[in-house]
Amino acid sequence: MVFNTGAALLDAIVLAVVSMEDEGTYGYKITQDVRKVIDVSESTLYPVLRRLQKDDCLEVYDRQFDGRNRRYYKVTARGMAQLNLYKSEWKAYTRKINAIFEGGVPA
Amino acid sequence: MNREEYLAELERLLLELPEEERQAAVQYYADYFEDSGAANEAEVIRELGSPLKAAESIKADYYGREFNEAEYEEKDYMEKYGQKSSENRTDQESAQDREQKTGKSPWTNRGLKILLIALIAIAAWPVSLTVACVALGLAAAAVGIFAALVIASVAVTVGGIFVVAAGVALLVIPPGGLIVIGTGILLFTLGLIAAAGSVKLCILVYPAMLRGFVNLCRRPLYGKAV
Repeated sequence: MVFNTGAALLDAIVLAVVSMEDEGTYGYKITQDVRKVIDVSESTLYPVLRRLQKDDCLEVYDRQFDGRNRRYYKVTARGMAQLNLYKSEWKAYTRKINAIFEGGVPA
Repeated sequence: MNREEYLAELERLLLELPEEERQAAVQYYADYFEDSGAANEAEVIRELGSPLKAAESIKADYYGREFNEAEYEEKDYMEKYGQKSSENRTDQESAQDREQKTGKSPWTNRGLKILLIALIAIAAWPVSLTVACVALGLAAAAVGIFAALVIASVAVTVGGIFVVAAGVALLVIPPGGLIVIGTGILLFTLGLIAAAGSVKLCILVYPAMLRGFVNLCRRPLYGKAV
């Protein structure tokens, strides 16, 4: 990837990935899903998840799995609002960039 | 390093954080290992980077300071490097060059890694060359010293013969001639003894030096226990 993924975009991608699972999802799966679309090292994601959790965008709960507790992440109402903000910002941003790339006048 | 060691080290490095913070991080990484499967343990450790790096990124986030991945490990250095050069517009050309050479992916690239190692080797060349020259010089000096002993002893012996010859010529003055002949014989004998001794010394020392040298060369390749 030649383009950088800034902190806001990374937050948005993580929120989107977590929001795809109604029941919530766990660290390893989040990492794998995020890595399908952007190239981040595996240790990048824990601090991001922790920060989103502190900002009340994610909530965690432990669920039994395979005889142990696995920590699940779920998007909160606040997280959903934040994600929607990111999505509309992204739409506006890419529309403008696309307009320039495709030769039109920015809308 | 296995999983338990990794987690223990991580926990140790996070001791300065509040208990809850530390436990959350350790639990996350423990989960991560569990979910990736035991077979992938080594791979996961490689991907995660060192416990130090993981700990620093957690602490940086906790204290709200910037985490500079570039300071930890080669792999992450490569990542940062790739990011930086595409960020930096003035560096655009070289970044493009690099990307073309290394096939579109500036992050964790094998070709780039090899290039970097080659560059380090080249950069260290004056040092390694100097060390090699000094070692060669010392070896040559050691060889030379023993050879010189043999040559000197032979020279003394030959000198003795000449002195005897000179003494014979001096026999026109009998007392002087006899003294010179005596001295010559003494030199000849001493020289012969010294030559025999030094040749014997060479026979002992040279093979030992050769063995030592061979061992020295093998050591970096095969380890100490050869």
